[in-house]
Order: sequence, then C-alpha cells, then structure tokens
Amino acid sequence: MRRGSIVRITIYGVIAGTIASLAAVLIPWLPTSASEEMDRIEFTFWFTTVICIGIFAIVMAAIAYSVLKFRAADDDERDGPPVHGHTGLEIIWTAIPTVLVTAISVVSAVVLAKNDDAGKNPLRIAVTAQQFAWKFEYPDKTTSGSLVLPVGRAVKLTLHSLDVIHSFWVPEFGQKSDAVPGIETTLVITPTRIGSYSLVCTELCGLGHATMRAQVQVVEATDYQAFLKRAASGDGAPAAADDGAAVYTAAGCGGCHAFEPAGTDAAVGPSLDEIDSGGKPLDAYILESIVDPNAVLAPGYQGDVMPNTYDKSLTEGQIDALVQYLSDGQGGN
Amino acid sequence: MTEIVHTAPDPHHAPASRPPGGLARLRYPGYLRAAWTTPLFWAIGFGIVVFFRWLGHYDPAVDWTVITVVASLTLAPLGFLTGIGAFDYWAYYISGRPTRVDDHASHGATSWKDYFRVNTDHKVIGVQYLVTTFFFFVIGGLMAMFVRAELAKPDMQFVDTQTYNGLVSEHAALMIFLFIIPAFAGLANFAVPLMLGAPDMAFPRLNALSFWLLPVAGVMFLCAFLAPGGAFATGWTSYAPLASDQPLGQVFFNMGVQWAGASSIMTALNFLVTIITMRAPGMTFWRMPLLVWANFTTSLLVVIATPFIAGSQFFVMFDRVMHTNFFRAEEGGYTLAYQHIFWFYSHPAVYIMMLPGFGIVSEVIAVFSRKPIFGYRLMALSLMGILVLGFSVWAHHMFVAGMAPWLRVPMMVTSMIIAVPTGIKIFSWLATMWEGRIHLRTPMLFALGFLSMFVLGGLSGIFLASIPIDIAASDTYFIVAHIHYVLFGGSVFTIFAGVYYWFPKMTGRMYSEKLGKTHFWLTFIGFNGTFFPMHWIGLQGMPRRVADYSEQFGDWNMVISIFSFLLGASTIVFFYNMIISWHRGAIAPSNPWRAMTLEWQVTSPPPIFNFDEIPRVVAGPYEYGVPGARHAVLTGGSGADAGVPEEERVH
Repeated sequence: MRRGSIVRITIYGVIAGTIASLAAVLIPWLPTSASEEMDRIEFTFWFTTVICIGIFAIVMAAIAYSVLKFRAADDDERDGPPVHGHTGLEIIWTAIPTVLVTAISVVSAVVLAKNDDAGKNPLRIAVTAQQFAWKFEYPDKTTSGSLVLPVGRAVKLTLHSLDVIHSFWVPEFGQKSDAVPGIETTLVITPTRIGSYSLVCTELCGLGHATMRAQVQVVEATDYQAFLKRAASGDGAPAAADDGAAVYTAAGCGGCHAFEPAGTDAAVGPSLDEIDSGGKPLDAYILESIVDPNAVLAPGYQGDVMPNTYDKSLTEGQIDALVQYLSDGQGGN
Repeated sequence: MTEIVHTAPDPHHAPASRPPGGLARLRYPGYLRAAWTTPLFWAIGFGIVVFFRWLGHYDPAVDWTVITVVASLTLAPLGFLTGIGAFDYWAYYISGRPTRVDDHASHGATSWKDYFRVNTDHKVIGVQYLVTTFFFFVIGGLMAMFVRAELAKPDMQFVDTQTYNGLVSEHAALMIFLFIIPAFAGLANFAVPLMLGAPDMAFPRLNALSFWLLPVAGVMFLCAFLAPGGAFATGWTSYAPLASDQPLGQVFFNMGVQWAGASSIMTALNFLVTIITMRAPGMTFWRMPLLVWANFTTSLLVVIATPFIAGSQFFVMFDRVMHTNFFRAEEGGYTLAYQHIFWFYSHPAVYIMMLPGFGIVSEVIAVFSRKPIFGYRLMALSLMGILVLGFSVWAHHMFVAGMAPWLRVPMMVTSMIIAVPTGIKIFSWLATMWEGRIHLRTPMLFALGFLSMFVLGGLSGIFLASIPIDIAASDTYFIVAHIHYVLFGGSVFTIFAGVYYWFPKMTGRMYSEKLGKTHFWLTFIGFNGTFFPMHWIGLQGMPRRVADYSEQFGDWNMVISIFSFLLGASTIVFFYNMIISWHRGAIAPSNPWRAMTLEWQVTSPPPIFNFDEIPRVVAGPYEYGVPGARHAVLTGGSGADAGVPEEERVH
C-alpha cells in the first residue's frame, strides 16, 4: 500500500468519523436523565458509541475508497490481483473486535450490577399492572394511580401483573422491567431530578396498550410525606371511597374510556359521557357494566376486553362512589 | 464421469397422462380436483369435531373455535394439497398402485401455466418461490404503508386499535415467514443444485411439497382478517398469555406458522441431503461456493430450531382450545417459558434470515470486484461459528422480561462475541474489494448498500447486547430501527442483489440496468429516511407497537412516514423492471457477469437437467485473476445446449 493511498483512506475515515460524531452529538439521542441509573446507562451508551463510531468510520472509509479508487470501466475485462487472503490481517480483525466487545461487556456488567443494587434501605413500592392501568402501593399501604417518588432515595419497585405481560418504563429513569403474571420482578430507580414524567407500558398488552400511561412525579422528601398523608386521607385509598373521581383515576378507567368530567378521551372502550342504559335504571346498569362488563356490550364493541375483576380489586365503597361519579356526569340525564 | 441417462418409461408406471376430458378430469390432479377435495376434507374435520363433542356430551357440540383449528386450518389445506396432486406419487406408491409415469411431465416449464402446477424442477420451484414471496412482500408492504399512514400524526386517524395491531402483526408475520425466509429458499433452490453441478435437488417431490405449503400459510395469515374480531393482533412474537385470550384470528397465526415452518424444515432437509450427497466430482466442501456454504449452515439452523417455534405456537393454541395451562400463571403455568421456547427459535431465525444473504453478497462481491474472496476458509468457518453461537444468545431478547438474573451476563457475552464472526465477514468483503476491478452493476450496488446498512444494524446490535442500554431501549422504536436495519438493510437488500444477479440465468433475459440503479437509490434513500430517525425517537420514549403516541414525536413520525412512502414507491420501479425485462429484455448470454461458479457455465436459462454432462470440479469457485484457472471442466458442448433436443430446453 502506497503512502498516498494511506493518506487518502485516512481522510475518508476522518470524514466518516466526523459525520458520525456530529450525528452522535447534534441529535438528542437520549432523554435528559432523571435517575442515577440513567446516568450510568448514558455512560455505557457513550462508551459504546465511541467504539462504534471508530468501526463505522473504518468500514465506510474502506467502501468509499474502494468504490472511488478501484472502479473499473464497463468494458474493462481484466481481473484484480489473485489475493486469496492474509493470515496476519485475518488474525487482527478477529482479535481487535474481540477485545472491543469484551471491553463493552465488562463495562455493561459493572453498570448492570450497580443498577441492580438498591442499597441497604430502599423505599419499597409495589406496582400492579392490569389492562390498562397502573396501581402503586406505598409502604404504608396507601395506593394511588400515579407514582410519587422522593428525590435522591433509592426505590425498589416490585412488579406484578393481574392479567397479561406489561412493561414499566419511564424514559428519563432508563430502567425497564416487564410485569409478568405469576412472578415478581423488581426494578431499582434512584430519582435525581424533581419533575413530572410519564410512565408508558412498553409490552403490547391489548387494545389499550398505547394509552396505558401513568403520571410519575419526583418531589422533595417532605412533599412525599405530605403526599402520603393526603393519600391516606383522601386520594384513592379505601378511606377515600366517597371520591369517585379519584377512583376513576386510580383504577385507570381513563386508559380506555372517554369521560369529560375526568378529562379523558381514550377510545378503546365506549365513551362514558352519554351512557345508554337501554331502559334499565342508570345506576344499576353502570354497576353491572363495572363488575360484569360482558353482560351487556355497547354496540360496536366486543366482549372480553375490559377486565372483569373490578368487584375484587375495588372495594364496595369505591365502586359505589364510581357509579355515583359516572351517573352524575351524564349530560342531561 | 457420470452421464445423465434419460430413461425410458418404466413398465411399472402407469401410462403418461395428459388431462382427460369430461368427468374424469375431476380426478386428475389440479385446481378442479382441489375444488372438491378441499371442502370434502373440511367436512371430514367438521364431522370429527362434532361427532366427538357430541359423544363426550360437550356443549355446544358445534364449537367454531375447535372446528376452525381442525377443519379449516388443518384438514382443508391438506385437502387442497391432495387436490393439486402434491401427494399423488407417494399415495400411489404406498397403496401399491402403479405410480404415474416418471416421464418428467411434472418437470420443467413449457408455458407460464406450468408455474401454477405441482412441478418438481428445482428451477421452476425457485421461480415459484420468488414470485409467491414477492406477492406477499407487496401485501406486507402495503400493510406497512397503512401503519405509517396511521402513525404520521399522533392520535387515531384511519384505523381502530384492533385493526392497527392486526396490521402490525400481519406485516411482520408476512415479511418474516412469507417473504424473507422463503425468498432465500427460492434463490437457493434455483442456484444451489446448479452451483453443485447437480441435475436437481435430492428430493424433487418433497421440494414441490415444500413450496406448496407456502401459499397455504400465506393465505391462512391473510384469512385471519376475516375471522370475527379481526386478524391476530399480538405482534409476530405473539406472547402468552395475551395470545391465549385474543379473538379467534390468533389461531390463524398459530397454525399458519406450522405450515410455513413445515415448509422450511422440508426445504432445509432437502438442501442438506443435496449438498452432502450430490456434489459433482471434485467439488469438495472447501471448493463449494460460499452461497452453498451459507445455505448449508442455514439449513442446519432451520432443522434444529424451527421445531421450537412450532411447539411454542401449539402450546399457546392448546391453552386456548384445549384449556391446557402451559403459560397460564393462575393455573400453575409458567408464563416466561413461552418466551424461552419462542426465542430459542426466533433468535436463530435472525440468522436464518441473514446467512443466505451473506452467501449472496459473497458471490456478488467476488464477481463484481474480479477478485477471489478474501479468506475463503475463514468465511466458511465464520458461518459455522455464527451457527453455533446463534443457539446461545436467545435470552438477550428477554433482558427486561423478568427471567433468571444470572442468565443475563452470560447471554450478553455470547451476544457480543457473535459480532466477531460477523465482523470477520464484513472485513473480508472489504478486503475482497480492495485493489479489485469494481463494476457497479445493480447487484453490486445492493451488495454495497447491504454492507453499509448492515454495519449500522450490527452496531446498533452491539448497543442492544449491552444489558444496561438494552434495558432502556427494549420494546421501543430503537428496536424497530435495529430490526429493519438488519432485516431490510441486511436481508432484503441481499434478496434484491440475488434477484438482479440471477435474473439473467432464471429468465434468459437481461434486466434494465438503469431502472435497477434507480430502484437502488430510491430504496437506499427511502430506507434510511424511514428507519434512521426511529433510533432516537425510540430512546427518547416512543414504545413500539402503539397506534397512538405522545405529541412530542409527531414531527419525526411525519418525516418517517413520508420517507416510508418513498420506500414503498421504490418497489414499483423494481416490479416494473422485472416484468418489462422478463417480457422483452435483451437476450442474456450464458455468462453475462463472467463468473466462475457452475450455474454460469450453462445456458440462460439452463437446460432441463442443468448439465448435459456432470461437470468435473478442479479448483475453488473464486479463482479470478489466477492465470488459466478454472473452477470446473465441462468437456464437449459446455455452456451450450449440445445434445439436448430443442423441445427439452426451458424457455
């Protein structure tokens, strides 16, 4: 290989590497981190990116150089030099990638071990997923439909599912885990940034999958305590049975149904704004539809979509409050 | 040297039969017979189900779920295959009746109609495969267009959620099981026996049956749209327990996979036996073209892995139909078992969809760089390395699934290591081009497009092998980007390269180079514009398989949709080129690419039994630039139809 060609291919390599680096830097690849775990994931991401940009630049430079330099005219019938291989080169391109992927593996394994470690005294929150809602239970047994976390403290989430597989993901936290029926999975998150985030389900779980979201708030420790107190006395807990709006949110009704008073507009199930009870007393019809959704199907909707477990997962008081709330929200009725 | 003897009809055979007239025609293999055997078999299935349910006092006796599985999805397809004559020879043989004469009436094609019959000629079957798979490519592609139309803006516009999920699932199922896997089987069906110097595949009738199972599977997938509740809507992964509780359309997937899988396994066995036993004299394993090596390893993967997806789909279906509890946690089943079994096939399936492409690219790059493949033996060995490692990485699809934590790091290490044999291949292709005399014909453009896109797909694969990054990226659009860089930028580009490369050999005509290059550039631009932005919208928070998404991703999704329509439109150029060129392209010489492998040493298209005499292989297949080197010696009329009567040639 002549010196001129080395210079040229190096230039191509630098150009390809620069383009790739610009793409890496200018495009907002990752969401702004909001947890210690995401910080470590970001480190792994950029560590891998640097190595990959190098490989990408080499391959692109070789392709570009070959195409520009070795292109033959259409009527050129000569063959290239009969080179069958080069053991040294083959050893090099076996050995170097091996070293590089080993390095990435080691970094990844270390980061994984740290990201799995919740420390000695994590805050434990139980997450229950079902089609198509999330429920969170705090150490003092209060529950809510949105997740509130104190900043700066490691949280260990234990995930359960009541029906099919769901997956817990807050992009800014990085961490993700499926909630699998029959087994318990765990997830460690140490929030670092106060703010409001969105929890999305990332495992296809049925019709309402795309709208199976929940709000996540990271707050100061004192605000967290205040939230627990408020929740225990009013927001979604059994004691709050009289508040139908809270039950509506906590049970995840808005994941599938539109209901103007609650500000939800999902279209998986029928709208609850103008319920047609088909001649039955309205309250009785609503109650039946909650505890036994397949009894009467709204025209245009199929059965076996809505969970038929609400008579178990909600208390009688909560169901009554919900019926009252929905019935009060009927325009003109 | 072995001579091919055209034997006279064997007296034990029944006389050669042309379609009889009148009512007897109803008994002659063909669509007319299928028209009554299919409903007959369906009725038998219906009768079996109703009779046994009545006998066992099950209520109701007429249960349409069970009838769908037994009558519509199992027996009716068997009836169809019986009707068109896929089992005739074996049925006659087993029952002791005289078999139909083996005069090769079902061999070769004399008119376009012969492509719609059961045919035992590997070249005809290869074309049947390709035309069928490209038909499903169009259908699956149109579904992707609907999906992108819906995703162009947030909120729901054109379809409801069930239909959307159905479109996504059908798109993936068709592209994987009815396009990429069988399209490679089709190309290999055409090329491998020729490359080996063999007159046909080892088992031509089995070969015909493998092909005919394919339209059965494809029609089954499509018929799912007619089922009450719509098509299967759980993604092509069809995870339990969701898949056990879905509307009836789901069983069309469960069963369709069985038919496509059976087709795959039969073809793979056929390739293995052909490659092991039917190599021409002198064709040692180390003299086989890399396409043959690639199909050898692919076939091993198929034979070992495919039964696992068959099992996983049967189990899910049994949970629904027979009330078993393989995956129902509330009844003591183990939900994650589904994913382990499924991915034990479906990760190797990624290599089933990749290795034949590696083979095609090796052929194309060597020929169009006019140089021997760099490091031929290591190229073959790296295929075997991928084969072995491919079975040890499946759980990297399950890093967030809640599986045994200790299993994660070992699976990460094997997933990382598999990049090494893949890297060897990429560097060897680059070294093959180095100092060559590169001709940028359409197959070479697609091979280079493959190289650059597959490198990106491979590198994003490194990200996904790293567990912490995978935990963030899993089930997002990053995965959608990765899989399309690997399976579209990788596999589909190589399929295009292969189709253009062998088009002259298959049809005897040249394709239009200008249209081919237009097709390449439109595809290349449309592809990157569609799939590159998916990387970051995924990492930023857009999950996969959603019809509705957060407002913040609206702009990029609009960009992606526009490029995807360009990508869709680019295939129109391809089909126009294929149809026009097949019809009235320039007559192809026997060896337009000046290639050394054996398929180019015979006429285009090849004679009915490929070689008038069995070639004698004397050296490797890529001896470009070696003075006086030949891959094989064909004495007397090599590359010409000498000795073959005009009417036996395929035109």
